[in-house]
Amino acid sequence: MKKKENQAPYLELIEIDKFFGITKALQKISLQLYAGEVIGLVGPNGAGKSTMMKVITGVLPPTAGAIKVDGKVMEKYTTKEAKETGIACAYQDLSLCTNLSVYENFAILNVDHGLISKPGWRNKAKQETRDLLERYFPGNHIDIMKTVEHLSLAERQIVEICKTLMADNLKILILDEPTSALSTDKAEQLHQVVHELSEKGVAIIYISHKLDEIRKVADRIVMMRNGQNCGECDPDVISTEELVGMLGGEGKKTRNTEKEKVHTGNRVIDIQNHSSHGLYNINMHVDRGEIVGISGLVGSGQTDLLNIIYDARKRTGQEKDGVKVDATVSYVSGDRAKEGVFHLWDISDNTLISNLKNVTTGLFLDKKKSQELSQTWYDKLKFKAEGIHSPIMSLSGGNQQKALIARGIASGADLIILNDPTAGVDIETKQEIYGLLYEAKAQGKAVLIYSTEDSEIEICDRAYIMHEGEITEELAGENITVSNIVKASFKNVKHDTTVREEKQSLARRILSSRLLLPVATMLIIIAVNGYMNPRIISYMGFRMLVSSAVPLVFAALGQMFIVVAGDIDMGNGYSIALVNVLVAIILTGNPLVGLVSLLVFIAAYMGMGALIHLRNIPSIVVTLGAQFVWQGIALVIAPSPGGSCPEWLSAFYKIKFPVIPMPIVLCVAGGVVCWYILFRAKYGMILRGIGNNPIAVERSGWSYLTAKMTDYALSGLMVVLAGTFYTAVCLSADANASASFCMLSIATVILGGCEMSGGIVTPIGVVCGVIAMSFITTLLNTFQVDSNYQTAVTGLILIAVLAIRLVTNRKEGRKS
Amino acid sequence: MKKISDKYAFIWPLAGCLVLWIAITMVSGKFSMDMLFSAAKLCSFALLLALGQMVVVTSGDGAIDLSQVYILTLTAYVSCTVMNVNILLGLTVAILVGALCGFVNGLINIYLKVPAMITTLATGYIIFTIVLVAAPSMKALPAASFVKFINLRIGGLSMLTVLCILVAVLLGILMYMTPYGKQLHGVGQKRLAAHYAGISVNRVVITAFILGGALCGLSGALCGAFNGGAFQDMGSTYFLPSVAAAFVGGTAAGGGKSNVAGVCFGALMMSFLSTFLNAANLSPGTQKLIQGAILVLILVASVKNDSVKK
Repeated sequence: MKKKENQAPYLELIEIDKFFGITKALQKISLQLYAGEVIGLVGPNGAGKSTMMKVITGVLPPTAGAIKVDGKVMEKYTTKEAKETGIACAYQDLSLCTNLSVYENFAILNVDHGLISKPGWRNKAKQETRDLLERYFPGNHIDIMKTVEHLSLAERQIVEICKTLMADNLKILILDEPTSALSTDKAEQLHQVVHELSEKGVAIIYISHKLDEIRKVADRIVMMRNGQNCGECDPDVISTEELVGMLGGEGKKTRNTEKEKVHTGNRVIDIQNHSSHGLYNINMHVDRGEIVGISGLVGSGQTDLLNIIYDARKRTGQEKDGVKVDATVSYVSGDRAKEGVFHLWDISDNTLISNLKNVTTGLFLDKKKSQELSQTWYDKLKFKAEGIHSPIMSLSGGNQQKALIARGIASGADLIILNDPTAGVDIETKQEIYGLLYEAKAQGKAVLIYSTEDSEIEICDRAYIMHEGEITEELAGENITVSNIVKASFKNVKHDTTVREEKQSLARRILSSRLLLPVATMLIIIAVNGYMNPRIISYMGFRMLVSSAVPLVFAALGQMFIVVAGDIDMGNGYSIALVNVLVAIILTGNPLVGLVSLLVFIAAYMGMGALIHLRNIPSIVVTLGAQFVWQGIALVIAPSPGGSCPEWLSAFYKIKFPVIPMPIVLCVAGGVVCWYILFRAKYGMILRGIGNNPIAVERSGWSYLTAKMTDYALSGLMVVLAGTFYTAVCLSADANASASFCMLSIATVILGGCEMSGGIVTPIGVVCGVIAMSFITTLLNTFQVDSNYQTAVTGLILIAVLAIRLVTNRKEGRKS
Repeated sequence: MKKISDKYAFIWPLAGCLVLWIAITMVSGKFSMDMLFSAAKLCSFALLLALGQMVVVTSGDGAIDLSQVYILTLTAYVSCTVMNVNILLGLTVAILVGALCGFVNGLINIYLKVPAMITTLATGYIIFTIVLVAAPSMKALPAASFVKFINLRIGGLSMLTVLCILVAVLLGILMYMTPYGKQLHGVGQKRLAAHYAGISVNRVVITAFILGGALCGLSGALCGAFNGGAFQDMGSTYFLPSVAAAFVGGTAAGGGKSNVAGVCFGALMMSFLSTFLNAANLSPGTQKLIQGAILVLILVASVKNDSVKK
């Protein structure tokens, strides 16, 4: 919707400057945004588009200039104010928590932040999510109960966009390269969404390198270059070629002149009747001196195919499963952040890493040679940087990509594989990249390029179009046109595709459950124990055996709350000992002082969490250091073992609970409460989300610091319980006795099915794991195994558990 | 690239050493160079472990070797036993056994895809069991001539210190001047990127574990001789100082960044710290407390925020 005359802008940027040190990212940028208007924002990489968006969303404060909302100059403008203004942004890098289900990702955003929510908020969130997805992307078939990690990239992008649309008071929507992973039909749906929103009065900033798309959706095109405004135009008047010209790129080169055949006839890739995971009956070949393209709808198996070819490089010239690669291979990824750049290095190292052979003299790297070679590439690719020793992260995305392409070509490989190398790269750089590819081709190298941009395939000599893991069409020469590619992308495939849609059966769900292993281990070990010694299977037997496991249950649950944040507590062995001392000596003597000391202890844990977060120090090191603090305090209070268990505590611990022995009641209660906190309570969702993708959760308005401190406080609480029950078991205090809890708690957390990387935890599994572990000890005693071997058994179990998990994960066919 | 930030990293532990040295001088009331030499001598074992830790951690992906102290104990026994046959052979076997332990760690980590921390936790258990079971049948006393050798002094410097400097220099050359070092730092930053850059990630990581293990082996052989024999719990003393030294010295916990000089000064600093606490005549509890608190403070001050991975 075009702005009306005399309409006042809703948001106004006035002469915004943003400097990073000496780098001027934005200079005197001005922008008026009117309600209901769609702005197409275009500009080469490094033009400052992303920086400007960060200013608008309040992530970065401007160095100078003013921001006006509804005519008022904002004195303070942070993410909070931006949110209140109604600004939402769908980020280029997806900001979803992959360990949470689709609806939980939505709930994070719009659930109220109060401590207690009305019951039924989950069902409400589910319904809202379902409605929202169906409304904007009809027929999307996204299962909202699925965790995001099991969605395809396109599905994730849809979820991401819908998540942004959910802001209550949406006034300004920023879409940053929204269609990069979407197929044409889904992109159409998105354009429809943009249209609808604009009708409703939402202003939209649409950033894209796809100029045809911009011309279609935008009411007004705003151009940026080098951090400055460089004009505006009306999309109805201007043509794509003119736009390209205004942005400083040269128009598309005529293809014919570039398509001289440099065939040397030497075959480098030969694939015959290859089928594997996600690929069906692939037949293709690539010769030296040609550029071959791969295209088709996103997610049709193109990346799998490239990986298979890349992995086949190790068996040069040998055929396996129909795949034969007879050349040295280099790989250039378009996913710079994950697969491309080495972020700690400069341009030079990033360029040379695949080519160390050429800069080595004898055994050592040759500084002079390195300097020369990287300078050659630096000059050739016209980097926009201060020199070959500029850190790679100081460059714009396009310039980073240049370094990666230089790496691929400089490696001297005969075959260069490029996986969407121009994703998020501006036109000028694109042209330079094509130039390099033509040059490589002229030198008799083979180039295999996969691109999500159909028009890019036009630079190729031949192209294979894929759909659903099958090559549906081979195009050559003049026949490579966007319309032919699109046609082939939708061609019916020969293999049966219905199998892949199969719903997960109950049996499979049980098999792939994280709980299976700990629960099964526990049951088997209890059964074997019972077989060896039937007296164990009784009220008294369980009471006696589980009793000693209770402290470990809580130690492990405490460890779990730290693991959920992606951290680890290496000091809980001694912190439990400290609690043991506090309980047996101080609490017994003076309950009030004892209680206060325990609360101070929990606060100390919280402080440790805050320290780890604020200073960004690895938890493993801090907790190792803290371990000595705990031990020191414990030794100061109790230089030698002593003290006694408070009477009320031992009385409580000895309660004869009907039917189920007390220790089991405690274990189950611990597990269930922790499960409730993490999986049913609202804040538990945040705790899990933070462990997986803190940035996403922070962007949704939750504090990372608070979440981390909550994790550590809960862990501290569990440590207090562990130490208390340990006192009830041992009946005295010893500052050195419980050191083994540290390793055992880590071991059981793993056995219980948690992921050390954070976000994925299973409280019930952890409890089962602990019980299994303690019954193993009993079992070893029954078999009269030397107690020396017991530590080794724990170690072997650990490795076995993880190895088993590896195998089951493989069967599940999950992509990591 | 590594000029400013890396040189910066060893300034912290170096400053820590100086402060503590001054503090010790003030507490004990006398100044001597011997203080430095003896601290350098005493830190040798933790220093070698810390260098090994640094190599492993630099390989990235959260890699850490928690089995180090057990490898040290095992190789101390092994060296004592074999050195009674031949000293050089004993030293070699100790290093090889250490390397073998590292190799196993690497294999489990890479091929069973068990996180390094868990792998080494588990192998640590197993190695400890081997020590417990095999110790009674092994010789615990070192060969006299080797003890004499490591106690040699070269102009005040202990032979141990000379060996440490030699190892550090060789390791520095490997880490910063060879293709392997470059690859290791690349792998440590981002394994997937390294894979696509044509580096055989598995080989590089396993080699890092082997190197780390070999350094533990060397440390074990020296430690056994220095302490007048091997005993079951000998490794545990070095756990905290070695890990602390590795991180204080400028090793990025996320991988991809190392600093040999920093780690050496870090180990020296930890040695000064315990000398200081001993000199101050404090109870064991208070010593532990202060040691832990100082360590946390140093980490807060020295570990740069850039160590975190995105």
